[in-house]
Amino acid sequence: MKKTGIIFFPAFDWAISPTHPEREERLLYTRDQIFEEGILDLPEIEEFPPRLASLHDISRVHFCVPTVSEQVLEAHRIAAGSAMSLGDKIINGEIKNGFALVRPPGHHAMRVVHGNRGFCSINNEAVLVEYLRRTYGVKKIAIVDTDVHHGDGTQDIFYHDPDVLFISFHQDGRTIYPGTGYTYELGGPGAYASTINIPLPPGVTDAGLHYVMDHLILPILKDWQPDFVVNSAGQDNHFSDPLGEMLISAQGYARLTEKLKPDLAVLEGGYAIETALPYVNLAILLALAGKDYTSVVEPGYYPGMYQEKPQVSAEIQRVVEELNEIWANRHKLDRLSLTNGKKFYQRNKPIYYDTQFIEEKQIEKVYVCSHCPGYLIIDSQAYHPDSKRYRILAITIPIQGCKACQEEGWKLYEQCKEDYRFNYVYLQDKSTDTFMMFQREEQREVRSDG
Amino acid sequence: MFIGIDVGGTCTDAVLLDGSAVRATAKVETQEDLLISLGDALDNLLKGIPGDKIERVVFSTTIVTNLIAEKKYDPVGVIILPGPGRAFLEIREQKDVFVLNGAIDYRGREIIPLKTEELAEAVDWLKNQGYTRVAVVGKFSTRSNVHELKVAEYIKQRHPEWYVEMGHRAGGKLNFPRRIANTVLTCATREKYHYFANAVRDALARRDITAGVFILKADGGTLPLTASEQVPVETIFSGPAASTLGVQALTPPGETSLVVDIGGTTTDLALILSGQPLLASRGAKIDDRYTQVRALAVNSVPVGGDSVVERVGQEFIIYSERVGPAYCLGGPLPTPTDALRVMGITQMGDVDLAKEAMRNLGAPIGMGIMEVAHTIIELVINTIVTEIDRMYLEWEQEPAYRVWEVLQKKKLRPQNVVGVGGGAAGLVPQIASRLGCIPILPPYTPVANAIGAAVAKPTLQVSLLADTERKIYIVEEEGYQGNLADTIDEISAVELAKSWLWKRAANMNLTEYVQEIEIIGQDVFNIVRDWQTTGKLYQISVQTPRGILGHIGSGGRLLK
Repeated sequence: MKKTGIIFFPAFDWAISPTHPEREERLLYTRDQIFEEGILDLPEIEEFPPRLASLHDISRVHFCVPTVSEQVLEAHRIAAGSAMSLGDKIINGEIKNGFALVRPPGHHAMRVVHGNRGFCSINNEAVLVEYLRRTYGVKKIAIVDTDVHHGDGTQDIFYHDPDVLFISFHQDGRTIYPGTGYTYELGGPGAYASTINIPLPPGVTDAGLHYVMDHLILPILKDWQPDFVVNSAGQDNHFSDPLGEMLISAQGYARLTEKLKPDLAVLEGGYAIETALPYVNLAILLALAGKDYTSVVEPGYYPGMYQEKPQVSAEIQRVVEELNEIWANRHKLDRLSLTNGKKFYQRNKPIYYDTQFIEEKQIEKVYVCSHCPGYLIIDSQAYHPDSKRYRILAITIPIQGCKACQEEGWKLYEQCKEDYRFNYVYLQDKSTDTFMMFQREEQREVRSDG
Repeated sequence: MFIGIDVGGTCTDAVLLDGSAVRATAKVETQEDLLISLGDALDNLLKGIPGDKIERVVFSTTIVTNLIAEKKYDPVGVIILPGPGRAFLEIREQKDVFVLNGAIDYRGREIIPLKTEELAEAVDWLKNQGYTRVAVVGKFSTRSNVHELKVAEYIKQRHPEWYVEMGHRAGGKLNFPRRIANTVLTCATREKYHYFANAVRDALARRDITAGVFILKADGGTLPLTASEQVPVETIFSGPAASTLGVQALTPPGETSLVVDIGGTTTDLALILSGQPLLASRGAKIDDRYTQVRALAVNSVPVGGDSVVERVGQEFIIYSERVGPAYCLGGPLPTPTDALRVMGITQMGDVDLAKEAMRNLGAPIGMGIMEVAHTIIELVINTIVTEIDRMYLEWEQEPAYRVWEVLQKKKLRPQNVVGVGGGAAGLVPQIASRLGCIPILPPYTPVANAIGAAVAKPTLQVSLLADTERKIYIVEEEGYQGNLADTIDEISAVELAKSWLWKRAANMNLTEYVQEIEIIGQDVFNIVRDWQTTGKLYQISVQTPRGILGHIGSGGRLLK
């Protein structure tokens, strides 16, 4: 019998600030509950120690401005490294599935990192995915984001990647941070419908959530046949969450986990640290381990306590129907129509870093290649809290990159090193696992290889 | 002078220490009646030395371990309050368990009130089942004991003659199933242990020994005999702790050593890390029950000097069981001890018999006696070294919940391999060379366990949890739960923990051992509700320094 692996890393000595939701106390009561229930003694569950992700592991995903070590603390590297460590054990067959019960979270961290946004600095799931693809050649990976907030960081990183299916359900962006995640955000021309957003109205109950699971998420996963499923397991859809307005219970989360059968669940948000987290985390862990979770009940909760309003149920059905139609017709779409026949598909993105009040202006261009997802060029600028202005140019050659795109990417990198507009020029060649950074003022170049 | 006695499964070992010198040693066979063995060992040791010269006696005893292993303990009725959470079907369905409604949460708040109308039913059930010993255990009772107290009081009022033990007193750490085990075992072994303690006091009194008597615990600390009667389960697995402390005393201070204790049928492995024995991260496990008993990290390999060797086809297999002594000592079957004798590594037993044992094994497959002996020893060493490698990994796999703990994690590799036990001399040098370490075979290894007992010191811990929002504080080891008079800060929380350590020491007459107090855990959590800090949670752990009274002789560096 293979076990469920858990890495529990509550970071009891790290906080964004003393009163920030992302503080030492966040997983304290979860620890108490898990320890008191004695579940780490269960033969079905094994606890492993956390480990650090290397700077290169992070460079494989992010362009940290100006450098990885300027943006990333040890706590971030431990959270990402813990997901990687469980990933290793799952691929090696040492455990059947895993739960990285770690903080800080990561799903709002985008490809370019000027600072912390939505409590996230680096994207734990993305670091894991690129590591698994690089190390083990895992081909198709699905990320199902069950946090109440749109996983905009994960979406950004894999928007042009046809081999990573990103599905996020969340409270409608018109009512909650970060304000994105609409049904029309479906991925770039080379990766159409590998991003699926399911915006839901406030007030969704367990019944509504499982309607989405049964009629949309599970059928899509069945069609797409991923080799590895990651769950960005945010717990802020809970009825007691202070930020979200959903009505999901611990039982609802446990059943979701049981149906989704993720290879690895990675904790994301969830800030009802007393009323939700101890119970939801316990229920998810029991569900992963195939144990009875039916007695995990929040104090004061009883089944049927929350009834979904008819207009909420109707809106859920409408969204599910709309997305099912998009999914069913995804192959019929002409990708050239998405690019209007241009060589590059361009997105202009204003990105706001709420934690540090940074405003980034970003232009992202992806080359429309007929052989691969195409190389990506990012021109990004922002004033950092130290009032320094950074303008950077970053190039990504995808892991599936064709020879022409690879050559073009490197050529462009060399050209941009001469361009006075950019303080920093970066290149990620995922096809060879190489990372380059050029610092124009100092005329300094750094290379790292995996 | 100090006396250390280790009552083991087969032998009872004793030493008399005079400063850093071993004045006398004794080894007697362990009898069915432990007290006879104790008396024999004492008499052998003391020959002519007056009892009043003895300043301290420390026992390591298997009495509770054996009671549990042989299930010779008294029946206990178990009343649990599991509340919502894990289903615990396997516990609920046990015949000796009665479930009450009522629940407490992680901060000690009542989330489901106790259903008092069920209490009469519970007492009827206990009575009908014939229980007179009762364990009352609630989930999170370590955070609030109100339910346990009410249930226990109700039972006591109706049956003052029954013995009732409560979970928050017997198992103060978080872990409900382990708390149940601790409470049940405490309840079940208490009377028999009390009888044993009295007999020990009697045996010492009859020899005019009036010195303080202590019992060794699984974590290498000691408890006064009287205090140990409250927590008999703390005395399980003190054997491996005794040998490990013995090695600590026999090797130079501050070094990192792997302790290899090769017995008749098992080899115990332990680690002394920079002079301190490594503690297991979770409590000891006995007879398939996980407990909250703090113990040293000791791993056992089922192979020893008396393990039976058989040939299967072209291969030799070592079995874990013992059928008798080695062939060269008149036993029925070949053993690693015979192989060592043939190789001339040991001088114990008849060499011709040993050769015969090897010949019997090797002749059918055309192997010479020396070749057979080498193959067997190679096999034993392989088995032990494999386990050592696995164990290093396990030790490195300890969880870490703080950034600094992750950053300071490093590979554990000892400099010494220290051998104790009967088979050590023949095997440890080879194990050490495989691991690239210095082999050490200290003097007095046959009684290292008794030396370990003799040099063991009382250690006291206090884990304090103070919640300034709820204005309560808890002392886990004492089962104490009280109110905070004022809002306290971090410094006064540490002082409060220290004052409880003093109090604890005073209650046990151990103040002389509290020279200094170490802070081993200090976490502060801001309680924030709606962006306002509404209180603080302090989790402070303090202890008296772990360690031993002193080192013996030259520090054992004889083989280099």
